[in-house]
Amino acid sequence: MTHLFNEQATFVSDKKTQLEVFKEVSQKLLDLDLVTQDFEKNLIDREKNYPTGMDLEIVNPLLKNIAIPHTEPEFVKAKLIVPIKLNQPITFSNMIKPDELLEVSYLFMILNNDPEGQANLLAMIMEFLTSTSPETLTDFFTLTDTKEINQFLEHQFKINN
Amino acid sequence: MIKILAACGAGVNSSHQIKSALEQEMGNRGYEVQCDAVMVKDINEDMISHYDIFAPIAQTDLGFNINIPIVDCGPILYRIPMMADPVYNQMEETIKSLGK
Repeated sequence: MTHLFNEQATFVSDKKTQLEVFKEVSQKLLDLDLVTQDFEKNLIDREKNYPTGMDLEIVNPLLKNIAIPHTEPEFVKAKLIVPIKLNQPITFSNMIKPDELLEVSYLFMILNNDPEGQANLLAMIMEFLTSTSPETLTDFFTLTDTKEINQFLEHQFKINN
Repeated sequence: MIKILAACGAGVNSSHQIKSALEQEMGNRGYEVQCDAVMVKDINEDMISHYDIFAPIAQTDLGFNINIPIVDCGPILYRIPMMADPVYNQMEETIKSLGK
């Protein structure tokens, strides 16, 4: 299986709003030739209309909430999970209850140019979050070195899948 | 054959996961189910009229009345029984209610 993560496309962000972090990450993904010019605009629009926050406290109160921002395959040139640790929690609307706001501490942005393919990246992310022990995840959420984040995820996703 | 229409914003990740989860779980429960995954913005009255059940991630306003049963399937995405089972049970009840 090809790599699901790319160290260069792994981020630790100090941004304080969705818009700021989406702009920061989109620009870097564009520089890496992983997305198209229109990715940023479509990512922002999609999050507004179809939010992607996920409440993990209902799975385990020890866990931080996440979001899985993504947009259509036509704006994406890779199949990749882009981890973004937020140093300051950012508000996202809940994907399954759009009226509810969540404080989110981690983003797993999904780049998927192959929706019909066997590997379902969202399923893999949820499998990772619900099958890894909360203690291990809590340690993971504190990592601030992109190399360490990348190595941990590569290793953990290999175990799960 | 029960036809289900799954839908999400980008038509790429969530709706595909719901499609495979519903086909597998309803299959295990003995129902013949075929599920298609689409983008919410592509749905119109004609498209939805070809399906038995609408399976969005969350409550969705399509701008017209939906005349088929709706089962919100978002909790399936968590991939844990605590969240997914109530949705599967509601889906099974809905399939039974179709009387097909």
